Amino acid sequence: MSRNADGSKPDRTRRRLLAALGGSASVALAGCSAIFGGDDEDGEDGGETPTPSGDGEDGEDGGSSDGEDGEDGGSSDGEDGEDGGDMTHADKAQAAWETVANNPSPKDQDLRNEAYVEIEEAVRDDMVMINFAHDITENFWYPKVDWDRTGALGGSYHQHKTTSVEGSDRLQLVNSTNSSLDPVESDDTASATVIHKCYDKLVHYPQGVPELQNQVLDSFELSDDGLTYTFSLKEGVMFQNGDELTASDVKYTIRRLAEADQSVRAEFVFDAPNGAGIAHETETVTDDEGNESEEVVPDSLAIEIVDDYTLKVTTEVPNPAVMDVLTYQAFGILPEGLIGDIEGYDGEVGVDTLRTQQTFGTGPWQLESWSQNEEMLLSRFDDYYGSTAEQAEIIYRIVEDPEPRWTLILEENLDIFSIPTSFYNRNNYTVNETDDRGRGVGTYYLEQNDVDLGYQRFTSLVTRYFGFNVANTERPVRKAIAYVLGQNEINDQVFEGRKEPAFSFTPPSIWPTGTDGYDQWVSEWPYGTEDEPGASNVQAATQLLEENNIEETEFTVTTYKSPTYQDAAALVRDKLASTSVNFTLEEAAFSDLIQRGYDGDLQMYSLGWAWSWESVAYGHFGFEPKNTDTSGMPEDNNGYYLDWHVNLSENQ
Amino acid sequence: MSRWRYLAQRIAMSVPVVFSVITFLFLVLRLGPLDPIAARLGQNAQGANVQRLREEIGLDDPLWEQFADYLVETVTFSGESWVVRNGTDVSDMLLEVAGPTIWLGVWAIVLPLFIGLPLGFYAGLHPNSASDIMANVTGIIWRSMPNFWLAVLALAFLRSTGNGSGPFGFDWYTFGPTTQSAVGTPNLDFATIGDVFGAPMLTGMDWSAFFVDVKLILPAAIILGSSSMAAELRLGRTAVLENVNSNYVETAKAKGLKGRTIVWKHVFRNALIPLVPIVTNEAFILIGGSVIMEQIFNINGLGRMYFRAIQTADVPLAGSIVFLFTVIIIFLNILQDILYTIIDPRVGYDQ
Repeated sequence: MSRNADGSKPDRTRRRLLAALGGSASVALAGCSAIFGGDDEDGEDGGETPTPSGDGEDGEDGGSSDGEDGEDGGSSDGEDGEDGGDMTHADKAQAAWETVANNPSPKDQDLRNEAYVEIEEAVRDDMVMINFAHDITENFWYPKVDWDRTGALGGSYHQHKTTSVEGSDRLQLVNSTNSSLDPVESDDTASATVIHKCYDKLVHYPQGVPELQNQVLDSFELSDDGLTYTFSLKEGVMFQNGDELTASDVKYTIRRLAEADQSVRAEFVFDAPNGAGIAHETETVTDDEGNESEEVVPDSLAIEIVDDYTLKVTTEVPNPAVMDVLTYQAFGILPEGLIGDIEGYDGEVGVDTLRTQQTFGTGPWQLESWSQNEEMLLSRFDDYYGSTAEQAEIIYRIVEDPEPRWTLILEENLDIFSIPTSFYNRNNYTVNETDDRGRGVGTYYLEQNDVDLGYQRFTSLVTRYFGFNVANTERPVRKAIAYVLGQNEINDQVFEGRKEPAFSFTPPSIWPTGTDGYDQWVSEWPYGTEDEPGASNVQAATQLLEENNIEETEFTVTTYKSPTYQDAAALVRDKLASTSVNFTLEEAAFSDLIQRGYDGDLQMYSLGWAWSWESVAYGHFGFEPKNTDTSGMPEDNNGYYLDWHVNLSENQ
Repeated sequence: MSRWRYLAQRIAMSVPVVFSVITFLFLVLRLGPLDPIAARLGQNAQGANVQRLREEIGLDDPLWEQFADYLVETVTFSGESWVVRNGTDVSDMLLEVAGPTIWLGVWAIVLPLFIGLPLGFYAGLHPNSASDIMANVTGIIWRSMPNFWLAVLALAFLRSTGNGSGPFGFDWYTFGPTTQSAVGTPNLDFATIGDVFGAPMLTGMDWSAFFVDVKLILPAAIILGSSSMAAELRLGRTAVLENVNSNYVETAKAKGLKGRTIVWKHVFRNALIPLVPIVTNEAFILIGGSVIMEQIFNINGLGRMYFRAIQTADVPLAGSIVFLFTVIIIFLNILQDILYTIIDPRVGYDQ
């Protein structure tokens, strides 16, 4: 395990990372989707996570693994040969993850891509997680708007530099409420949307298209050992306060993210691969109440300023994700010494100015005025180092409720928007063409105004899934559930067609072997029926259960309080009614669900995962079987709550 | 018992009420499933940050300590918001959004008062006439329509009138002062407050801005006041009817008083008595209703902020708003009792 190579901070290298998304609720309450995330129990559990039991079934599970693949028949995936004699699916996933972790250099991309597919195969064949939906993003715009379409990472990355609106200087957009524009403090989409426009970073995903593009970075070199990045910056990049950007500003920015008290994403500096993994020192700090905690030593980050336009950043271990991580809005560059919240700086302005009154970045837009919870006005930054924006102003109308949103849309007080589900008619859109990124472009007929809106539809980087705790569930039962699930039906009945049926954890837009590879993956999907991978196949499930002599089994699915997940689970329950599996539904508050996940106390559970940047690894790290051991959660392991390690041959 | 003693007693009695209301809110928010940390950090929250934030806002302190802090902060409005606008003083936030809510409330009380009451009195003076039946039936229908439904319908109607496509060429956007949208927050900057002889006084009035603000709030205010308007209409009618047929009117008539004098001086005054609780009770509806109205008409007021605070378990903010609401309602209740004695000298505080 390369990630444990650094002995000095075992806690840092494996920090829990969890994510969850609400069902439709997260969509309806755009700005509040955050409600559904996080962990309430962190303080209380103090490391006493009980070890999961359930060793009894290890034997049958692991031992029969290869034989069973053969019986499945439908799943002739042709990779049985590679697997080798005694290798279990978990072994395969473990080996694949180690390949990913040990080969971080850009030239090994193909090797890693192969490994990613192997992880997906192991997940599928051992059926430790059944993914059922990827989110779909739809954008609508009036014909007077000319803009570059958004990519899979979503509209928050879009800088609207080339967007133009016929007959108006002003681009009218909608946003949710947010409270701060301090890059290190703002993690929500609403803040990110504005921060990406006002604060340029080293690198960026233009319009949210998952393809790195330099912003203030001119070029970079990676040393042969894969650890040291030498960044050359563009010259003549001006801040909105009139100063020129230099290497020390970049260092200050990263230091703030790592050290400032209000930083909510410090782990994006320290962790790898779900972070940049920059080398640093830690010290044990004792607070007033005698609690000890590990904290980073101020100014100990391995960032070296070579000259005004060059700096070197050294990572702890080789990490393929570094450049991707640097696109995150928290890396938006501030002038050095602006805020005195890290050691060595007194600060030029108070932190409140940065949070709500003024922007100080190098981005194409600057904050003009902000009336909290009403509207925000951005104006073009004329000294922008690149080509300046087309429009003079962007106005964000801050609206969350569907009624006023819809009103503003019909009044043409919004130029680019999404239509609230309650006013959306799925028969009104037509997709004329699909580009090579899988984005469908066409029109949507807006009856009320009798106008054809521009329309764009693509799968965003969000996956919703049911995970299985392997130690508590038998494989034939897991597979039977995969057979009956019926992704297409769930998508149609529960999500009104506004989701994409999922066959893999990794969304199609970042599938490691491209669109063709993904199509092949779907066509080879072993569950469902022969002609329709997303169909429900009760017969095959019944047969499988009978072949494996599964007697009456009690089985519980735990979803958190979300009607959509409950509805999806209820569909599965109804399908299983004729089999020997007695499937029951259970709801848990979000923090309870997470806690029970840590305790290894779940059988089947529902959650979601959203990618903050385009990296298959930022999702696959949670499948590494050793990392799914819930007895080490949340301190040492941050994988999904699968307990997949029990299927490793070393544990059998 | 004097009026003042009664007042003091009522105020003393309201202390336990306030205490239990804000305690209950604390329990619901802190012991319920809502998690301010999750609301603030979002979906991919990680352990170290969660822990630091918990310590920062004191979630790991003993619950009684948190409660004590909460109580003090709430009643003194000295807390800081946890989530909605983290770190901002609650008192600043309340001052900022109170304006639109007061503006909405004033119009929602005034409009029904000036439409509902005269209609009701008119109906009462002309019982069983065609216009009485009209007023009554519309009143009942009006009252039976729930606010949130009416608001959605009204908004759908207003936005459909763009470019003069409403009935008879009606266009809400150009009706009166031109507005860009049917939804939004009034600016409330129509009045210029200047310094006159050392005291702040109204020195100027921007009437066009005033009318824009009125127009923005009008649909929401009418709908918010709709149910009380109908209640006032119907109760006004009954009260007038009852008085018109009572003996003292007979006596007055026998004494030779003019009909107008009887109605204005005696009947109306007596008819007002049962209406006092209706008008003050409206305040309860207004506070609850403003949450829905502000949401639908996108008005950045107290109600919307309260809704957000509850959703995100922003305990200090929600606590302060609930405290404010409770105090207003208790104050109105006391005011109602005092008003009774002024309107009707027969009502006293003696047992």
